[in-house]
Amino acid sequence: MYLKISPPALAGVEMTDKRGKRIATQYPGEIKLKGFHKSSPLRALWDILFNSSAGVHLMTRVKRVLTRRDFLRTGTCAAVGGLIALPLLGSTRVKAGEQSRVVLVRNKEVLDNGGTLRPEILEEMLDQAMCTLLEVPDALSGWRRLFKPDDVVGVKSNVWYHLPTPGELETAIQKRLVAVGVKGKNISVDDRGVLRNPVFQNATALINTRPMRTHHWSGLGTLLKNYIMFTPRPSKYHGNACESLGALWQLPHVVGRTRLNILVMLTPHFHGVGPHSFSARYVWPYSGLIISIDPVAADATGARIIQAKRNLFFGKESPISPPPHHIAVAGSRYGLGHSLPDRIELIKLGWKENLLI
Amino acid sequence: MFSSAFAATFESFGEALPEKVMGWTKTGEDQVYDNRTIFEYINGAAEVYRAYGMKGCFSRRYALPEGTGIILDIFDMGSSQEAFGVFTHDLDGDPLDLGQDALYRAGWLRFWKDRFFISITIEQEAQTADQVARELGKAVSSLIASDGRRPQILSCLPSEGLESASIRFFHDSNLLNTHYYLSDENILHLNSRTDAALASYTDSRGSAQVLLVQYPDGEKASLAHKDFLNYYLPDADARGFALLENKKWSAVSLNGELLAVVLEADTRPLAEWLLNEIMETASKSR
Repeated sequence: MYLKISPPALAGVEMTDKRGKRIATQYPGEIKLKGFHKSSPLRALWDILFNSSAGVHLMTRVKRVLTRRDFLRTGTCAAVGGLIALPLLGSTRVKAGEQSRVVLVRNKEVLDNGGTLRPEILEEMLDQAMCTLLEVPDALSGWRRLFKPDDVVGVKSNVWYHLPTPGELETAIQKRLVAVGVKGKNISVDDRGVLRNPVFQNATALINTRPMRTHHWSGLGTLLKNYIMFTPRPSKYHGNACESLGALWQLPHVVGRTRLNILVMLTPHFHGVGPHSFSARYVWPYSGLIISIDPVAADATGARIIQAKRNLFFGKESPISPPPHHIAVAGSRYGLGHSLPDRIELIKLGWKENLLI
Repeated sequence: MFSSAFAATFESFGEALPEKVMGWTKTGEDQVYDNRTIFEYINGAAEVYRAYGMKGCFSRRYALPEGTGIILDIFDMGSSQEAFGVFTHDLDGDPLDLGQDALYRAGWLRFWKDRFFISITIEQEAQTADQVARELGKAVSSLIASDGRRPQILSCLPSEGLESASIRFFHDSNLLNTHYYLSDENILHLNSRTDAALASYTDSRGSAQVLLVQYPDGEKASLAHKDFLNYYLPDADARGFALLENKKWSAVSLNGELLAVVLEADTRPLAEWLLNEIMETASKSR
């Protein structure tokens, strides 16, 4: 069953894009909305925007069916949906000329010979990166700029047992939040329980942190993808190599709350095998962290490193499969940041050997 | 070395499989997952198995005293067609003589037999790990008494020039895009009720890729045919042929519930020959 809503029916509803411009009346056709929401116009509006194909049209305004032939026309088929080559069919919402700062910090000593993490060195790396990211003399000044004592902070972690966010990093983040005055009861680290977690339900701020790895559906397990647990229906976002993951960041309990992104590149996983999508053969001690306010820029940087590692390891061009084009789409369609290298100010700190970028 | 008693259930696998193989010992309890709890076990990769209608998964871990492990997963896919399909999801590796088809790539052995897909993953390199993986594979295979049938749609693939190791079977548009990116929309209307096969061809006329889709009825097949022409081959001639931007030929044809697509062929004669062969076979089998 479909409820048909024509633009005039939405005339009284404030439906705007991210820049505050009304878009409902600009949509020339009819919107088909699955189900009836007569008693809840806000819910109806929400479904139009985020749960319907019409919503995709509204969000991108000119979205059309994209096929392999679009890539063949632009001569980019080999990198279908890749980070560089994706044709930008949606409107780009990031301002031209702006760059996103990304800090890549590495320290060879962060892992000992047995691969065990040295927490004190990890904390040094985190502090060093924070100082550079925000151009502050000491790390706590940076944390103070991002978080206020009355903030309620959810730290979105990742518990995937083969390669979880290190507990030592979670602890370091919590320590710094407490140090700038955030109350312990207002801080929570969680992954799969975020929708039931009172801190996340009331969060005024989010920190997003996870290790980068190859992924069966999305090409890469990214910071963008780490928010999949904010929806009760993750499989809804699996279509076309998870290209619409950026939409997760528009969910009402998520939008505008992320203050910091930390992509863990200590032992990234660059090639998945089998049902577990993991093999210890395909991790390596890169010993790095990537930190940015812009999740797209952080992910795009990590993706370039993974791609370079694959090419090196396999001795030939070995594209990430499926292509992680959700990163570029998050920038082009959802306006979450920059994926192109010339829009990223990459600052490299520390260990330079085998940098791959 | 192992019992050859028939075991068709997870319980009987658990009872009949060895607890120790060449110094590798079973660790922890065997685990069984259904198509919902499988997410807890293998995370997002579970979608692949669910896309093939997975019924359940039996899992056992073997380990050396120092902790290095091998994971044995036995997926009950409900039918031999689905077991074959999930096997074809990843075709990278060297063939092995095990089950009905088997492949081995560094750290991962897998095969299918009857309705089961078996995956043996080596967590970390160890001297005897490869050999243990093969022994375990043999043990599981010996416990599955009979072979299963491959999907019927494969019989419509012309045999001449067919690269048999390239055949994939699936139902889902996401899986099609994983193997051959076609479109961000499901323009072929693939779903759990459609059977699809993708295969590569090479002969003296060049190479080509073929996609076959069997729909539950002619109406759905016609709709897919129409949408494919609209969205993918709007410039096709009256016979459904178009020259792509990369100078390869694509073509589509419909026969009842069967849609045949030549995705890319080096030459038009090759594309024509493939479609003719497919349609002839389809007509005979109707």
